[in-house]
Formats: sequence, structure tokens, C-alpha cells
Amino acid sequence: MTHYDAIVIGAGAGGGITAGVLAEAGKRVLLLERGPHMAPEVAPYDHLRNQRFARYGHNAGPALEGNPRVAVDLNGEAHVVRPFEGSYQNNAAVVGGGTRVYGGMAWRFLPLDFRMASTYGVPAGSSLADWPIGYDDLAPYYERAEWEVGVAGDSAGAARQWPRRKGYPLPPLPISPQGAALRAGAKTLGWDAFGIPALLNTAPYGGRAACIQCQYCIGVPCPVDAKNGTHNTLIGRALATGRCDLLTECVVERITTDAAGRVTGVSYFDRAGQPQSATADVVVCSAGAIETARLLLSSASERHPHGLGNAHDQVGRHLQGHYYPMAVGLMTDPVYNGLGPGMSTVTVRFNHGNVGVVGGGMMTDDILELPIRFWQHYLPPDLPRWGAENKRFMRENYRRVMRVTSPVQEIPNPEARVTLDPQVRDRWGRPVARLSGGAHPETLRTAAFMLERETEWLQAAGAVRVWGKRPGMKLSAGQHQAGTCRMGDDPAASVTDAWGRVHGHDNLLVADGSLHVTNGGFNPVLTIMALAFRVAGHAAQTW
Amino acid sequence: MLPPAQLNTLHSLMDRIIPPDEDPGAWEAGVGDYLARQFNGDLREFVAVYRAGLEALEAEALARTQTSFTALPADAQDALLRQIEAGAVVHAWPLDPAQFFQDVVQHVSEGFYADPGNGGNRDRAAWQMIGFVPGGPGGSPA
Repeated sequence: MTHYDAIVIGAGAGGGITAGVLAEAGKRVLLLERGPHMAPEVAPYDHLRNQRFARYGHNAGPALEGNPRVAVDLNGEAHVVRPFEGSYQNNAAVVGGGTRVYGGMAWRFLPLDFRMASTYGVPAGSSLADWPIGYDDLAPYYERAEWEVGVAGDSAGAARQWPRRKGYPLPPLPISPQGAALRAGAKTLGWDAFGIPALLNTAPYGGRAACIQCQYCIGVPCPVDAKNGTHNTLIGRALATGRCDLLTECVVERITTDAAGRVTGVSYFDRAGQPQSATADVVVCSAGAIETARLLLSSASERHPHGLGNAHDQVGRHLQGHYYPMAVGLMTDPVYNGLGPGMSTVTVRFNHGNVGVVGGGMMTDDILELPIRFWQHYLPPDLPRWGAENKRFMRENYRRVMRVTSPVQEIPNPEARVTLDPQVRDRWGRPVARLSGGAHPETLRTAAFMLERETEWLQAAGAVRVWGKRPGMKLSAGQHQAGTCRMGDDPAASVTDAWGRVHGHDNLLVADGSLHVTNGGFNPVLTIMALAFRVAGHAAQTW
Repeated sequence: MLPPAQLNTLHSLMDRIIPPDEDPGAWEAGVGDYLARQFNGDLREFVAVYRAGLEALEAEALARTQTSFTALPADAQDALLRQIEAGAVVHAWPLDPAQFFQDVVQHVSEGFYADPGNGGNRDRAAWQMIGFVPGGPGGSPA
């Protein structure tokens, strides 16, 4: 059996960074990924089967059969669900994970995002808490992520909102017509609007070409490899050291421990389904907030009867993602110019300081929408779903409609959680994740508040009609899933310490969105990457 | 997958969901081909639903108007479909009429607006109609 310095479970945003940092620090690394390589030639053009619109399945795994989860609805009824169903809360299962198919917005959280409890108090029924680290602790690692993975951004605009040492390595996204209209609207409202940072080559970078603006930007792999993820940066760097073995289509069964309860490695199933095992000095969980929690829970042993790191029943709790209220505005003139990605403009004016609600979220325009998804989600609620009138609206207004959306910072609660289902097993015989609970009511209030701000912005930008729906109660996780192994100084109220080490274990780490105590009012991936740089860098220096 | 008479009913039905006007309607844009393909794929389980639903639609038309659905004028077809959409039927349907109609609207719109690689949207008819131009300034990914 091969012994490694470190085994990293999951080759997504967190695991990819972790493998790169450890391998370059001289460690021998085994990087295990349950999914396959997604070949660059995988056609991104299937409008019905992709990670953004998974009407009949999707393109980035996991396979539709053999990977069920159990979703408990708000009435307490359990449903066995498949990966393309919404309540599955899927994220991509390929090398690169979600970074392979994301839209790639590249946000730093704001300083106040790390101090939510201190800023707002703790609403009843919530588990709102401060992070054990602050913005300044993470800032150098945000910078590494921006430069080493590659972020295009509006350096001057961002410098007005975040303390920053350096600008972005790539020039900002082009200002789309919708962005121009929103910037004009923001000016009349007195709001500061600026350019969206994105993990996208607006110019050649990292040995790869620039974006061709083809509009195949989200839910699909980039046709010209101009989207920057871990698959085409840090994982490549890890492999180039010769010290990292990447095994794909390998599914970890459990983290193994010795008689004293110390982590020794993993047992896994290889791509032929054969049981295998490997040992290591250190094991890092980077499987995403749902699968990392599932793995810690299913690695129970005599010494750890409730799962690893779960002596205080914290693993799997505080599951969160983002509520996404969206306002849709009808403009007089076309705002669609056929040039992807189309998103360009943001305001962070309402992330904090909103009277009467807890937190808030940034607001942006959105990536240009493929026609079928537009038809599915963005038509006015009073428009007939069929017939001459529906067709006419599509013909006249597809290019005149724009959207403003906001990832609302969620107020976590311990009942939104991942447990192991007592009955349902996956194709390898492992107990599957059971997802239960719902959002905290404060999250719904903030979402309703943000929908009003979105409406206000669209109207100021010239929209002649605006529609949108208040999001209702639901469990929220999805591609932005976070919070299930939160960091903290108190072992009774958290799962890891401030360096991602699981309490009670000196050689078990977490490096993914599970660590997030709160999930910011932003797409979380740059924070996942920055934390992984920090966790892996610290680990490499201290052993 | 469907007997010829039912295919005619389906043709008429989808051309009320996305009617021909100055731009192609659903049938002309290849939505029939989309469905034929999906009946061997993701919508395999819907073949029986379409058979039962199209038969019931025809029976509903005959019960109400003594005329085949395909022979009704467009306005009368629309009026009948609005009744079915609301679940207000006079014939004894073997399935939920409103659900059936909603499913057909969904599938027809998918065939019309999704990529031609899925079998419908012939010659990018729907995309030309709405002005969706993929590929960016320099090229044209399918």
C-alpha cells in the first residue's frame, strides 16, 4: 500500500488549491476525485443538459443513477432524489469541481462578513456567529487566488470597497449594454457601481487564450478554456511537481483511524469498483459542504462513534447557500448585444447597513441567458405560457429584458443540516446524505428587502416594467453550499479550528466551503480558494 | 411512435402552443422531430402519456363540437385548450388534462427554443426570431 504525505479528497476549488500548495511545498500528495476529467472537447452546447439548466440531466456529474440523496421537504416528508433535481443540491463532480462549469464571479467577502454576530446580534433560532479570523487574515490569500488562478476585475472600483494591496491581474470585463444602463441608473440613485471581478481571461493569461464572448459561459465548460478554475491552474501545477497522483472516478468510502482514534488514511473504491486503501500523514477533506460532512459522519469508529469531529454534534449543521431574489426588467431598447458573458456591473451598497434587516447582498446584472432558460424562468407572471402572445413576447423582448440578482447572505440555523440516511445507500453501498431543514426567517426578510432594491435599480436604469418573485421558505445549499464544518475557537460550537484542523485531530483538515461560518453576500468560490491557500500553506509549514 | 391520426392531432396542438406567424410555428421548426427523438430518450415514459392524452383531446373536441380537433378553426382550438388547461373537461380523461397540457407546453417549448442539436429549432428558427446569436464576434460554436 502506498503511503503519502497527504491525501486530499475532492479535486474542486478547495482540493485543487490544496493539492497544488502541498505538492509545491515538497509533499507527496494523493488527490482523489469521484468524477472524471471533463475533456475540453465536451460540447458545451446542449441547452437542456448542463449544470445551469439540468432539465434532463447535466454535464458534470455525478451520474444520474447510483448517486441518490434523500431530501426531506418542509412537511417532513423524505424523498429519494437524483442529482439533476433541485432538492439534491448538487455541485459538479469532475476534476475542477464547480470551477469547471461556474460563471466565475470572484468576490472577496467584506470585512463585516466575518463579524456578522458582533454586527447584528444573534437572531433567535439562528446560529449566526463570527469567524475566528478576519478579513485581514484572509486578504493575502485572496490576493494569491486572484493572481494564481487569474481574475479579471475593475481594480479602481474594488479598491473603493475593500482594503486591497494590489489590483487584479487581468483587465475588467467589457461593460455590456445592461451594465451601462445600470451604471447610469446607479448614478441617478447615488449608488457606487463598478465592474464585476471574474475568473475569466479577458486577455491571454496563464498560457491560455482570451475569452471569445461566445455566451457559453455558465453551467458548461468554456469552449476555448478561457475560464480559470483549479483544473487548468493549481491541479496542473501539482501534477507538474511529479509529487501528486490524481486518481479520478475514485470514491472515498471512509477516513480510516487507528486504535487510538488517529487518522491514518482512507479506504476508497477505484474506478473498477474495487476496494482500495491508502495511508497518509495528513488527510484533507475538500469534497464540498455536503459530501465532506457525509464523509466525516460515515467515518465513525469505536473511538468516534458519532463520526469524526462530531463529538459535539456540529458536523453537517448550519448548511447554507444563497437565497437569490431576482428582479426582471423590460427595457425600451435592446440590451442584449450577443457578447458573453454579459454580466459586468455590481453594487455592494446593500451588503450591510440596511435598516431593519440582517445583512444583505451584492447586486449584479447577470450572465446572458440561453433562450430556453429565459423562457422557463424570466417571462412576466401574467403572460400566458403558450400561444401567439407568448411567442410574440419572446420575439419582441428577449433582447430587451435584463435581470438584477443578489446572493443574499443567509442567517444560518442548526436545523438546516446534512445527516446520514438510515436506509438509502449509493451504488458503493455507502449511506447517502440526507438533507433537512429550511432557511432562517431572517434570510427571507433580507431576500424580500433585496428584491425591492433590485426593482429600484432596474427602474432607475430605465425599465418600463419590472417583475420578480419573493423567494419562499426552502432549504438552501446548491452550488454555493457551505457551513457544515464551521471554523471556530470553541470546539463545542464548531468543527475545525481557525486553520481548518478538525478539533481533536492533529492530522485531519477541511479545505472547502464547509469551513464558512457564514457565506457572505457573494458567490463564495474565491473565499473557498483563499481559505484553501491558507489552510494548506499553514499545514505545509507546520509538519 | 404515434399512429398517424395522433401525429396529426399533435401537429395541430403544437401549432397552437407556438403558432406559425411571420416566423415558423412549432411544427415547421422541427418540434415534431425533437419529440420523436425524445420519445426514444428522456421522454420515453411519456409516449404512453401522449397516446392517452392525444386520444382524450380528440374525444374532448368531438364531445364538445362534434368536430375533430385538427378540423377546428384556430380560435376554437385555443378556446378548447384553455378549458383543458384549466382542467374543465367534459370527456372522461384517463389522465389529468391540465397536467398533460402543461407537459406538452413544456416539451414543445424545449424543442423550439433549445439548441438544434436536440432535434428541434430547425435552422435556428427560434433563435433567429428572438435575436439570440451564439458564438461571439469571432466564431460560431454550434
